[in-house]
Amino acid sequence: MTAETSTDQFDPRSKLVLVMCISSLAVLLQDAVMMTAVLACGWLAAIAFGVDVAGILLRLRKLLYLFAAMAVIQSIFTPGGEVLVSLGGVSLVTSVGLDRGVTIILRVLIIVISAGIVTTASSRDVVQGLYQWGIPYEIAFMVALAIRFLPLLRQEAEDVLTAVQLRGLKLDEVPLGQRLQIYSYLLMPMVSSVLGKSQKLAIAVEMRAFRAHDQRTSYRSLQMHGGDYAVMGAAVAATAVFLLAAWRIGRI
Amino acid sequence: MEQVPDGDKTGLDYPLAARGLTFSFPDAGEPLFSGVDLRVRSGEVVTIMGLSGSGKTTLCHCLSGIIPLIRPGQMSGDVLVEGVSTRQLTVPEVASRLGIVFQDPDTQLFFPAVEDEIAFGPENLCVPPAEIELTVQRVMHTVGLPEELRHRNPHHLSGGQKQLVALASVLSLQPQILIFDEVMSQLDADGKKRIRRLIRELAGEGKAVVTVEHDPDNLDIADRVKVLHDGQLVDYQAGWPYCEGDAGRVCRD
Amino acid sequence: MIELVDVSFSYDGSQQVVRGVDLHLTCGGITALVGPNGSGKTTVGKLAAGILKPGSGRVEIGGRSADGMSLAEIGSEVGYLFQQPQRQLFAPTAREELSFLLRVQRVDEDEIRRRADAMLKQFDLQHLQDSFPFVLSRGEKQRLALAAVLMNRPQFLILDEPTTALDVKRKAELSKLLMRLHDEGVGMLIISHDSRFVGDLAERVVQLRGGEITDDCRNQHRSV
Repeated sequence: MTAETSTDQFDPRSKLVLVMCISSLAVLLQDAVMMTAVLACGWLAAIAFGVDVAGILLRLRKLLYLFAAMAVIQSIFTPGGEVLVSLGGVSLVTSVGLDRGVTIILRVLIIVISAGIVTTASSRDVVQGLYQWGIPYEIAFMVALAIRFLPLLRQEAEDVLTAVQLRGLKLDEVPLGQRLQIYSYLLMPMVSSVLGKSQKLAIAVEMRAFRAHDQRTSYRSLQMHGGDYAVMGAAVAATAVFLLAAWRIGRI
Repeated sequence: MEQVPDGDKTGLDYPLAARGLTFSFPDAGEPLFSGVDLRVRSGEVVTIMGLSGSGKTTLCHCLSGIIPLIRPGQMSGDVLVEGVSTRQLTVPEVASRLGIVFQDPDTQLFFPAVEDEIAFGPENLCVPPAEIELTVQRVMHTVGLPEELRHRNPHHLSGGQKQLVALASVLSLQPQILIFDEVMSQLDADGKKRIRRLIRELAGEGKAVVTVEHDPDNLDIADRVKVLHDGQLVDYQAGWPYCEGDAGRVCRD
Repeated sequence: MIELVDVSFSYDGSQQVVRGVDLHLTCGGITALVGPNGSGKTTVGKLAAGILKPGSGRVEIGGRSADGMSLAEIGSEVGYLFQQPQRQLFAPTAREELSFLLRVQRVDEDEIRRRADAMLKQFDLQHLQDSFPFVLSRGEKQRLALAAVLMNRPQFLILDEPTTALDVKRKAELSKLLMRLHDEGVGMLIISHDSRFVGDLAERVVQLRGGEITDDCRNQHRSV
């Protein structure tokens, strides 16, 4: 999730700017062709920053199936445009529907892949970057804690699911009503663990003089370099070009 | 019964002292422990033994000011940290005098690099960065963490190393008092040995140390052993079953 | 009962946590798996329980390849006790904890009650049968988790660091309980770095270091 060391030469803030630009485009753009271009740019940028894109896609494949299914459903129920596939007079896939479905998938892919760029920065650097931007340290610190503890929670969820299945539960053979009850049971160890952990964490944090003063010093301070300005400049410029082009063809 | 003499207002003789400490959870009738008196000298290791559920961890929380400053609970009596009642101190004031290391390494380490972990406390106290750099080097040396672990993620270290990082992060606040709450229970034999030796060394440097234990094997580092039993903190006596190291014997009663 | 043949495993595809482990576990005996933190003990335990799939080599449980078995099928042969018992407690009461999964499997209601009663009695939990599992003490949680695992009647148990955070008294109680299960013919693999605890119980001690078995011998000092 986080980089082992912070030898990375780019300031996390330039990465944040880049990711914000790319994801704003993902949200604002409507045109599938332009979004594909943005996805290509984001993908290249992610690889340039050393993101394991294939790994991310592999982990997200179940979610992607879900979005693909949503795209098909969108396409079925959205009338308009040419009818591409019809069955007994009922139009199944229309051009407008297909277009919407595809843009949903593109949007998700762009956001997920570009967000991978932030995870190449050490969470400490992200905190420090946000802090130097004037965001209160408490909030920045909470963000870092969340990044740090999400993988632990995932491990725990896996253990819980394994434990209940090892006790003889065949989840896919259980009727829906009972399955809901079981899911509600499974939440219990998770919730209790999160509560317990956060209480212990809060104590440990406070006992190391957290919020002793309104100010704090920073052992490591971040310095923007030429490369960072180049990355941010390029990101902002490219975003402006995309938005302008989209405006010219009236699809924004 | 130990009494803190009135002359010791400055807490120089006894950096950590408890007077008539009584605690009960809200809604619980019986107090968890009552009338606890304890004085810990500089350079001394006092070990508190007790079975699970005897209130050891809660006593740790009282001794370290977590109760009543962070966690609620009905505490009467006083804990004096360097001669001042914890009720009159703020949490950061306590933290720069007293450090506490907990049992579970995973809930006391939050950063992706060892050095960040150690720097967190001094940063909060507004220590200048150049000085923090020296502190990081010094405490890593003290706990015996090699320099090359500095940029490693504590999460990927062994259990023993994690506890060393937790201790280093507390030592960077330069406390005179150290409390160890069952810090060895998740460690293997090597990890335990290292921590035990380190605790003795820290006492040798003049720190006042309290360790809380349920494992009789970790008693050899103690100058004095106290037992929390039936809500009372009493002196360990020879033949006391908790300290036999023979599990079978405890069960027979 | 459980057989690991030349099993290797890695979490991230590069660093091998377990290397070429051969381990044959028979029904009935108590085997201890010992070694320092990070030697791969828990990983071997999870491989033996079919929770993790080996990178190379094979794992057989009850004569069948673990590859083709669902976790539910494995669970009726092998019970697994996690290091943190609270991760395997789900239900609103202790009795429900023992019963609800059998009910899902449509076991007869009288039979469920009979088995649950026997377990509550055997594990000294009768007075706690209506308690919320999360408010129990550590030792009680562990007994309940163990009882719940045994409701499935596995012939073999894998226990991951069962003595963590147990004091001398609770350790002795657990030791007695495991001996009783042993006398009933349940085989066990106990993963632990607590040499005194396993020294008293195990007939066989397997030593793991750096992901490899470095020693596998009969325990001469077994005292029980």
